[in-house]
Amino acid sequence: MTGLVRAEWLKLFSTRFWIGVLIGGCLMTAGFSVLFTALAGVAQEGQPALPEVGTPAFEELALSVAANASVFLLILGIIGMTQEYRHKTAVPTFLTTPDRGRVVAAKLLAYAVVAVPFTLLLLAVNVAVVAVAAGARGDAPSLTGDNVRTVAMSGLVLVLFTVIGVGVGALVRSQVGAVVGALVYLYVVEPLVALIGAIQGVYKWLPGGAVQAVTSDFQAPELLEPWQGALLLLGYGLVAALLGALFAVRRDVG
Amino acid sequence: MRVEVSGLTKSFGAVRAVSDLGFTVEPGSVTGFLGPNGAGKTTTLRMLLGLVRPDSGTATFDGVPYAALPAPVHTVGAVLETAFHPARSGLNHLRVYCRAAGLPQERADAVLAQVGLTDAGGRRAGGYSLGMRQRLALATALLGNPAVLVLDEPANGLDPEGIQWLRGFLRYLAHEEGRTVLVSSHLLSEVEQTVDRVVIVGAGRLVREGSMDQLRSGAEGAGTVLVRSPQAARLAELLRAEGVQVSAGEDGGLTVHGRSSADVGARAFAAGVELHELRPHSSGLEEIYFQLTAGQEQYAAPAAGEGTR
Repeated sequence: MTGLVRAEWLKLFSTRFWIGVLIGGCLMTAGFSVLFTALAGVAQEGQPALPEVGTPAFEELALSVAANASVFLLILGIIGMTQEYRHKTAVPTFLTTPDRGRVVAAKLLAYAVVAVPFTLLLLAVNVAVVAVAAGARGDAPSLTGDNVRTVAMSGLVLVLFTVIGVGVGALVRSQVGAVVGALVYLYVVEPLVALIGAIQGVYKWLPGGAVQAVTSDFQAPELLEPWQGALLLLGYGLVAALLGALFAVRRDVG
Repeated sequence: MRVEVSGLTKSFGAVRAVSDLGFTVEPGSVTGFLGPNGAGKTTTLRMLLGLVRPDSGTATFDGVPYAALPAPVHTVGAVLETAFHPARSGLNHLRVYCRAAGLPQERADAVLAQVGLTDAGGRRAGGYSLGMRQRLALATALLGNPAVLVLDEPANGLDPEGIQWLRGFLRYLAHEEGRTVLVSSHLLSEVEQTVDRVVIVGAGRLVREGSMDQLRSGAEGAGTVLVRSPQAARLAELLRAEGVQVSAGEDGGLTVHGRSSADVGARAFAAGVELHELRPHSSGLEEIYFQLTAGQEQYAAPAAGEGTR
């Protein structure tokens, strides 16, 4: 299994794709950190103001923006899996290791481990930019108590989304289909569910609802408790991984 | 190591791609796996390698199916479609599979040298020519120094020099190193000089299995001589009088059966018959291959001139 995991790392780091993921994730995290801090407490027409700098609500919101970059890690996982099908390397991969369940397990493990340093970098960018920006407005958040919990939960979201991405990739196999599908789901389907009163109750059970439950519940409809949200996300990660492995094992290749 | 395929059947929806197919591939020889496009060759090879699940039947290596092989990369090396990430260097591509198979990284350099790609190893595989891609795929197959090599249309995209090299390489691997080599092609002429045995399939079924010599002896046109002469009628009469079978060949020429060209030439010379052309007919393998597989293409194009008006 060690060899298989190391093979996955070599696959990942022998192309430059991971650099793009990191740059995109850092830019997004830094951008939202600056934006949220700049708009904190500023009333906008028709929109409720973001909480004031210095309030616990602001700090929870500002210190969980790294979780927004989970989309980049989701795509990292999706592409890590779907590139095997796109470039047909699934054939030499499965010929080398006919037990496809082990291949998918190694990929899930490899990406979960890689997601840790990636996540730490994004969290560091988040905390640093918010500290500077909020500090400029008079009140940098302290890294204690609830704030540490918020940052840690945001990190958990990032790692789990990487794993979910690998699972989704194994299920969908089409690279374009999986990436576009994931983006549409995250940015169209979930916001709509959260918005429409009749089906709003479902939102808390969706990955997006779970993310909001563990990070910041700002402007969210009814949500689960943070620990329930964390369990739910973990469950999504496991289900995606298991289904992905199952499908990869059963389906014909090529 | 012997490859045995038995009763292999696979349908994709309503299309039966492979139907009760059985054959064996012997070690120490190159076996050609022939058939027109759509005959089920690729599907068969994918079932042999455990990539596609057969509806029924078995494909084994010394009795063991691919998925159950204790050391697959040391047992079988396969070249299917060229498969690599275009942004990854050829060397890193090979190192990935070294790691996955627990082979030392030096094997990657060794197989690159074996296929003559050492200098290109550090370059992105996406920039390789078609021939270099085929060589990289072959290098991947050789990583584990396998006893069996399975190649699906390996000559595709190779230039004449590359094809020449591949022929020699495959023969060396089989005859000198005793490996089992199975190579598929839709063109008999492409592998005619390389293979010792053939397995011919059409429409997913076995059409013929045997040695090249067996195929040749059954070939219509084998052992015939084509003669062209301004005195064709006289020559034909002369030969028939000696009990030689003669028939009208193409463009007014004669086809003489069962005699060598030297023999026919000597008789013509003795009788003072002027000859314009005298040549042994082609081996006739192409004809028999065509007859064996005729009408079994899945999508046949109309003959030239037909169906266009």
